[in-house]
Amino acid sequence: MDTEMISSQYLVMIVTGIVMGTMARIMTIKADYRQYPSYPNGYLIHLVTGFVAASLGAVAIPALMTKNFVAVTFLTVAIQQFRDVRKSERESLKDLENTEFAYRGDAYIDGISKTFESRNYFALIVALVSSLTIQIVNLEQIWLSVLAAIVIGGLTFYIINRFSKGKSVGDIADVKQGEIEVKGSELFVDGIYVSNLLGSENAAKMFKDEGIAVVIHPHEEHFRIGLDNFGQRQAILFEATRALGAKRYHFSRKEYDDGRIVITLIPIAGDINKLLHTVRNTPILESVKKSSKLMNTKFIGRE
Amino acid sequence: MGREISQRPNYQVLAIVTLQKDRILGGSQLSLLANDEEQQKRITQDIAKAMKADVVKMKDGDYLVIRV
Repeated sequence: MDTEMISSQYLVMIVTGIVMGTMARIMTIKADYRQYPSYPNGYLIHLVTGFVAASLGAVAIPALMTKNFVAVTFLTVAIQQFRDVRKSERESLKDLENTEFAYRGDAYIDGISKTFESRNYFALIVALVSSLTIQIVNLEQIWLSVLAAIVIGGLTFYIINRFSKGKSVGDIADVKQGEIEVKGSELFVDGIYVSNLLGSENAAKMFKDEGIAVVIHPHEEHFRIGLDNFGQRQAILFEATRALGAKRYHFSRKEYDDGRIVITLIPIAGDINKLLHTVRNTPILESVKKSSKLMNTKFIGRE
Repeated sequence: MGREISQRPNYQVLAIVTLQKDRILGGSQLSLLANDEEQQKRITQDIAKAMKADVVKMKDGDYLVIRV
């Protein structure tokens, strides 16, 4: 019976891996101004999938050490599972599109669902590295091995977290308060034409009294490629309406000469500082990122 | 610009309220003729409220009620 039992060393290895991997997932569940996925059920779903991912990573090394090479193929099951996480996240967010103040847009949904998928890989990799550390270090005092696993696992988490961290709008552009002006039924922000939907006197008065606006000035010319992207602007507008609510109107508009972008709305609650903070912290979507340096690279065959 | 147009929500013109009869040429929208500017504003407002729509005042004085 004893021969069928797992050894205490492997047990420690697996438990340490699972705990480290699950911790990695917990630390990447954010409850920031975006308030997502800070719903109780959202937490639970992602913690459980994170735990499963960590378990798969943690048992890989013991499986290899017991010459159970076929068992390692379950990592492919893990990848499939993570893809399903991405898929279900995408479907869920698309289902919510018609219920929000503004559309998230396909580009933002794609970015969010990819992030959820990648965070499960965090759990898997951290768990795998932690259990691998215990196997490699293999000290007589098991607690020292566990300590080493915690340190190396923590370091791994830090590195991949930094690697996967993207930029936000505030990193590539100045975000300043815009001055709202209503001329007849037309809305202007800092002299940039935004909309002529303020045809009724009520609408014009409401926007004059309660409207707030920010103008985004890209630091460099090439940042315009990303910021001008419709998906990116939609994501910014979504975050703005999400954080402050939208009592009535919300608009985004790009100006062609300087590449300035206007985000304006009538908020339910909140002030200009909250809007500035929200816009600055909106992530730059992976799908719209362009590297100007890469475009200048001189590969063989190019002049 | 082409991609943007394809992703933009469709606008639907629900009504046009004008003061000049000869400006109503046809179309699927509701076309109304007002007697004066006050009535024109009132009609536009009422339609917009009922249809939960937005109002555009055109530079020539006509009002459009549109829905995004």
